[in-house]
Amino acid sequence: MTAAPLSRPAATPSCHAGGDGPAAAAGAPVVALVGAPNSGKSTLFNALTGGRRTVGNWPGTTVEVGSAGWAPGGVEVELRDLPGAYSLDAQSPDEELTRELLLGGLGERPALAVVVADAAHLARSLYLVAQLREQHQRVVVALTMTDVAQRRGVSVQPMPLAEALGVPVVVLDPRRRDGVQRLAEQVAACLQAPVPSPRPIEATLDADDELAVADERFSWIDAALRVGSSVQAEPPATVTDRVDRWVTAPLIGPALFLAVMWVVFELTTAVAAPIQDALGNFFAGPVTRGADWLFNHVGLAGSWVQQFVVNGLIAGVGMLLTFVPLMTIMFALLALLEDSGYLARAAVVTDRLMRAIGLPGKAFLPLVVGFGCNVPAISATRILPSARHRIMTALLVPFTSCSARLTVYVLVASTFFRGHAGTVVFAMYLVSILIVVLAGLVMKATLWRTVGDEPLVLDLPAYQRPTWRLTTSVTWVRVKGFLRSAGGIIVATVTLVWLLQAVPVRGGAGFGSANPADSLFAAIARFIAPVFAPLGFGDWHSVGALVVGFVAKETVVTSWAQTYAAADPSAGQSPVQLQHHIDAAFTASAGGATTAAVFAFLVFLLAYTPCVATVAAQVREIGVRWSVFGIAMQLTVAWVLGCVVFQLGRLIA
Amino acid sequence: MSAPLRSVLTAFEGGARSRAEVGQATGLTADVVDAAITHLVRIGRLEARELATGCPSGGCGSCASGAGDSPGCGAPAPSPHRSGPVLVQLSIRR
Repeated sequence: MTAAPLSRPAATPSCHAGGDGPAAAAGAPVVALVGAPNSGKSTLFNALTGGRRTVGNWPGTTVEVGSAGWAPGGVEVELRDLPGAYSLDAQSPDEELTRELLLGGLGERPALAVVVADAAHLARSLYLVAQLREQHQRVVVALTMTDVAQRRGVSVQPMPLAEALGVPVVVLDPRRRDGVQRLAEQVAACLQAPVPSPRPIEATLDADDELAVADERFSWIDAALRVGSSVQAEPPATVTDRVDRWVTAPLIGPALFLAVMWVVFELTTAVAAPIQDALGNFFAGPVTRGADWLFNHVGLAGSWVQQFVVNGLIAGVGMLLTFVPLMTIMFALLALLEDSGYLARAAVVTDRLMRAIGLPGKAFLPLVVGFGCNVPAISATRILPSARHRIMTALLVPFTSCSARLTVYVLVASTFFRGHAGTVVFAMYLVSILIVVLAGLVMKATLWRTVGDEPLVLDLPAYQRPTWRLTTSVTWVRVKGFLRSAGGIIVATVTLVWLLQAVPVRGGAGFGSANPADSLFAAIARFIAPVFAPLGFGDWHSVGALVVGFVAKETVVTSWAQTYAAADPSAGQSPVQLQHHIDAAFTASAGGATTAAVFAFLVFLLAYTPCVATVAAQVREIGVRWSVFGIAMQLTVAWVLGCVVFQLGRLIA
Repeated sequence: MSAPLRSVLTAFEGGARSRAEVGQATGLTADVVDAAITHLVRIGRLEARELATGCPSGGCGSCASGAGDSPGCGAPAPSPHRSGPVLVQLSIRR
């Protein structure tokens, strides 16, 4: 390596754009202005040159380089504003060009490099200085943002820092032009002085070991900062720090998280209940009457077409649509929590719990995602490095309670626990976490004893006031997803269920006019129902709804509405009417332990296969055999837990 | 030599779960910890991914955090497609 002569490099920017500033005299030495993006480099360039610059692409590249004449201390130089670069190890075309220009790959090196360093992120900014100090290169550090650093409790002492770095350090504020003259003087002085020797590097350092080389530079930076800057012993605590001290505390954190989620479910159910009833009345009144009027006028009154539209589509899909306000309120509350930054803290709290019981840390991401929807959660298992991790997590995801199950929780909880529906829904989410934890522990103790833990750290964002735009946008996107499924797979399922209920297997009625109890649907459900007798809900209505629920959990609600509406049209027209029928069915099948049967039903609903889309995602990610194993495991866990809940509940009752 | 980068990696392996905990475990200032993490992500020794919570039931296709067919969750962080606070998961790449 040789000292850069004070002459103009052979290669110069092709100046085909912008600027009317004076170019530097031919042969003038080049001073390069370098630094990380957004370090204030261009502002300084403008402050030094009065805003006059010539901008153009460097020959052979699409990267822009600005240049202008400058005369620090009367010495005529060409000042070049190089593309932003964090280090000389290029990772982008911009950084590549900066590296080449600084190291002489495109001609002679600059006579001097002014590194613009952000005092608020000084360690990061000094990495480039560390690399340049390994070269025969004149360097001056222009220190910006010292006011921001001061507010964060960091004060920089330029003289000791300059001594430690072996280069001049000039504090300046390019926006106010403070320190610009001092920089000019330092640059002029450096240009007259000989090129300094590179900083000494440990002789034993292995140059091929990227981490060791970088570590040596960081060690040098750390040593320089220890003498050149001071951090307040107790940096001023930000609002985020103060709140986090409580929110992520080992005991208070989880308790607070549970309290927050309880408030979310209570608010959701309490606020949505009257709106849901009003919407139910709307479907029961104007919509149903309008449809009946229409069929009367076209001469299809009493036909199977009218049965399908009124008792199938309006009863089934209409009932599901009464849950739109509920979903909207819950999605909005969750979006508020997410946008404020709180959900990130909740994630830390949950992660800590999972680690405490020995579950792999990285599996945490898909499991958290699963509480929204199991399908993307299964896809998210791809980020796990080992196949064993992926399979294990993909098998656990279906036990996370997705938002589709919420509709059934709310309907059942409002039927049997009116006034406490929010608390019951909240309890179901706790049960979901418990099942994930227990199933994970069982799998870890049996199938995957050798699965190790993956270290992980969560980088928490600062709290912020939730924004109206983001909250409404996130809420709308999620509600739209709910409506889309109601309009697609739910309509298809409602149609299939109606067809099965329209086909009589006894009683001699014709197609579309049979009592649902005499239909093919009821016959299939009755055949399976005895399996659920030990769980307290061996009634064909409930079992039929659960079977349909394999398609998607929302179809449990639509199936109930259709089944009861076919026998009693008022049942499919409002949640309250439907609740009477569900109540009667559970009372009849539970043998006096209705509450136990209801909880057993909810637990079974939570634990069994979520939907066909989740199964499809599992097949795609972990193959057919593990997916079949997963379905068998979900059904077994669901049945055993439901049975335990009912039998214990019956004893207590 | 103090080897800040190796200290940070060791702190992660030792169970540190936030930048503050890494600082406590290594004795490095917050500024050096931040710079070390940024550098470790840059050279591929740490992996930074977005952690989304509360997915839409419509899946990734209807996700506000996603870009095109790519889900927002698990995407390399920091993502230019998201606004508002984002939880970033850092993990050691082996």
